[in-house]
Amino acid sequence: MLALPRLRLLTWAWRRGNLQAAAGRPFCAAAQEEDGRAGQGQQQQRPPLDPGLLEILACPLSKKSLRYEESTSELINEELGIAYPIIDGIPHMIPQAARMIGKENQEKEPEQT
Amino acid sequence: MAASMAVASCWVLRGCRDQRLLLGWGRRLCSGGGRAAADARTHFGFQTVSEEEKGEKVYQVFENVAKKYDIMNDSMSLGIHRIWKDIFLHQMNPCPGTQLLDVAGGTGDIAFRFLNYVRSQREHQVRQQLRTHQNLSWQEITKLYQEEEHKSLGGSHVVVCDINKEMLKVGKQKSQCLGYSEGLSWVLGNAEELPFNNDSFDVYTIAFGIRNVTHIDHALQEAYRVLKPGGRFLCLEFSHVNNSLVSSLYDLYSFQVIPVLGEVIAGDWKAYQYLVESIRCFLTQEELKELMEDVGFLKVEYRNLGSGIVAIHSGFKL
Repeated sequence: MLALPRLRLLTWAWRRGNLQAAAGRPFCAAAQEEDGRAGQGQQQQRPPLDPGLLEILACPLSKKSLRYEESTSELINEELGIAYPIIDGIPHMIPQAARMIGKENQEKEPEQT
Repeated sequence: MAASMAVASCWVLRGCRDQRLLLGWGRRLCSGGGRAAADARTHFGFQTVSEEEKGEKVYQVFENVAKKYDIMNDSMSLGIHRIWKDIFLHQMNPCPGTQLLDVAGGTGDIAFRFLNYVRSQREHQVRQQLRTHQNLSWQEITKLYQEEEHKSLGGSHVVVCDINKEMLKVGKQKSQCLGYSEGLSWVLGNAEELPFNNDSFDVYTIAFGIRNVTHIDHALQEAYRVLKPGGRFLCLEFSHVNNSLVSSLYDLYSFQVIPVLGEVIAGDWKAYQYLVESIRCFLTQEELKELMEDVGFLKVEYRNLGSGIVAIHSGFKL
């Protein structure tokens, strides 16, 4: 019996939440679109990674500092030969997301630069 | 009306019985899970699964509910989670310049509160400064205000680290909608293998996250490593209720209402069934305190909120 008013209150809160979410959606969708466009421009014009963040980021495996490779938008651990991708400005710092850099690539890289 | 009440009371009574059975069953499984830790098995709610499986299952849960996570938090707790998080921030009491790492903070609830708090602290500081320097010239005052615009956070920065891509995506979108950009970074990372240098942060927070970590001791060790000497560890997490009346009402609500809400709002009964089960399987206040002390944290203490529905644990790296 006690549960009834509480449930009614909950459904009210839920309906209100949904309304708010619906009202917020067009604005957020616009913000996302803008962000998408800004993100594209950002990648071309300025580095998407905050230098302050680069200073504190480390390889989760070796805990050593990383090199930021702007052309591929990756954070590279030279010692272990692993590259962590930066996707939409978010560094993906887990080994499952990382890419192994083959020895051939490593040799080629200095030639390219 | 009377019929509906009778149905409702039957439903509640049946619920109580089911729940008692469920709790007994759950406790057995949980204790089994604890003993089985040596052969790399752990608990996922009331199920016993391999450690690898737990990571995957937790990931799936949060991937599925990411978009509805905030609405669910509001409706399940009737908005009380906001008060708990505000109390958490007041306990942290960060001053301008504080470097914060918020682990498992995907949707940014703690990070946004931190930025607001630091900004208001900074404004207070400037007002105080102006009050003590009454004889400043206009030039000095405008200079001070200009400086202030650039440093409204006084150099504070918060890094939100979460293992779940979807949760981070929701958080980042939310930050853009709400207009937070300065002093905020997002990193995908594992609490057990933090991708940060040693001694990097003044405060480490984990709010409603540590329960979902497979090896809590590893997460605590990593927290200790990335904190600067003098840094503070703060954890906000569901805990164990110490009042029998609150406890029975809370159990009833948890097992009978929350999964239903999960199904109705987020379309995911299992995710919210996991939520309530994982809370029952989580360490008690004293157990978590001991674990923190084992890792090396000092001056470890905890504070119960809502008779222990949640607890805030605090410890220092000295």
